[in-house]
Amino acid sequence: MTTIPAVPPYDIASDASRLASTLRRTVVEIRSPAGGGAGIIWGGRGFVVTNAHCVRREGSLTIEANGETHAVRSVAYARGHDLALIRAPSVSGPVLELRDLDTLRPGELVFAYGHPLGVSHALAMGALHGVVRDRRSGDPRYIAADIRLAPGNSGGPLVDAEGKLVGVNSMIVGGLGVAIPATVVQAFVTRAANLRAA
Amino acid sequence: MAKDKNTNTLVELSAQLSAAVEQIGGHVVAIHARRRIPSSGVIWRDGVIVSASHTVRRDGDVRVKLPSGDDAVAEVAGRDAATDLVVLRAPEVKAPPASRADASAARVGSFVLAVGRPGRTVTASFGIVSADIEGWRSGSGARLDRLLRLDLAVYDGFSGGPLVAASGGVIGINNSAFARGGAAALPASVVDSVVDELLTRGHIRRPFIGVGVHPVALGNALVERNNLMHDVALVVVSIAEGEAADAAGILLGDLLIAVDGRALARPSDLLDALASVPEGGSLRATVLRGGIPQEVTIEPRDRDREGAAA
Repeated sequence: MTTIPAVPPYDIASDASRLASTLRRTVVEIRSPAGGGAGIIWGGRGFVVTNAHCVRREGSLTIEANGETHAVRSVAYARGHDLALIRAPSVSGPVLELRDLDTLRPGELVFAYGHPLGVSHALAMGALHGVVRDRRSGDPRYIAADIRLAPGNSGGPLVDAEGKLVGVNSMIVGGLGVAIPATVVQAFVTRAANLRAA
Repeated sequence: MAKDKNTNTLVELSAQLSAAVEQIGGHVVAIHARRRIPSSGVIWRDGVIVSASHTVRRDGDVRVKLPSGDDAVAEVAGRDAATDLVVLRAPEVKAPPASRADASAARVGSFVLAVGRPGRTVTASFGIVSADIEGWRSGSGARLDRLLRLDLAVYDGFSGGPLVAASGGVIGINNSAFARGGAAALPASVVDSVVDELLTRGHIRRPFIGVGVHPVALGNALVERNNLMHDVALVVVSIAEGEAADAAGILLGDLLIAVDGRALARPSDLLDALASVPEGGSLRATVLRGGIPQEVTIEPRDRDREGAAA
């Protein structure tokens, strides 16, 4: 009789759970009167990026990071994009490397991390569907992914198989997950941080 | 098992999947033959494109966007309602036909990708083969040798595009029109036989005798007296005037017991018997009329239009 070895030669499950444990330390849970969602600790410490629709509204804003709850306030909103920057001095986590979006290929694996339908710290796997580019400049406008998202994934990261940030999950359109490209997010954070410094 | 820290199966799988999509992308075209979004098609043979029939709403002057970005014009060579396949001739297409996946790549549980070109670029979705159904009967009554049910999302414009193995190569043609909008694919072997027939004949031969039938239970006495195999038969409830059954003298109310020695219990049994009649051949029907069995020879006619009744 043959037996199936306990550890298969291709151990996808353990690689996926390792990816999830890295993301767990850099993704926060956002609670606000707007409903909340997920957020990404940006630059290692002090800032959290999320969707504007997760926080926009007057009222209290708290984030839960690594089991601790912090009262915070949002500092900037992106013009033309569903992005918000939150100042959170006491929050820290690993820096997510940014994926070079020009190298993205349809069909490659992508992962979404967030809190869909109130389920905290959930990982979803899917495939890259395509990159929607600006007709004139050719810059990425949206990342479309064949992945199952739900409310609560908003503001959370879409990463590649290496854990590099592809975008910030923002919408579900026709069943497709739609993310704001990582380059757009980086440009927004840089601009917002410079404004604060000035 | 010791694991090399540098190898990550996710990264490897991801690279393999995107390579499979990129490879097949050179053989997937966008077809502009309906309103709103275009559909997808696959370069199946030299100068021959296969797609889903319901997405190609005209027969001539079909505009096709090639992987190279060039436009080409194609003509419908034939359609088959049962498999919802359309075969297009496009002599201008110089790209080679798509390569096939190994048969072992399409087992239940296999990782697969649905690839489409609903526009200029290829897009993909990822999932698994969830069922491999043999002898699947389509909504229009025709029997398909095989159909793959898929656990993946089929987005707008994906019908007619290829189902691709994770290791690369075409497994079949995707179509969301089967299985009530659920994702399904026709395996390449089924597509091949349809393409062969459409290219040579222009339509799929569906032998037709022109009767409507309904199953009925037979009384014990009748079964014993005639030494029948089953206590079920098909009663003829309608006859198409001038068609084969009419010409052979079949009457309303006749009970069809068997054809070519095979018992008939369901209307689909008659469809199966018809499908196996060779071109120009005939079938021998055993008919109970007034309680007395008789043999009738019927010569089916070729029906080139879609339809369900036998």
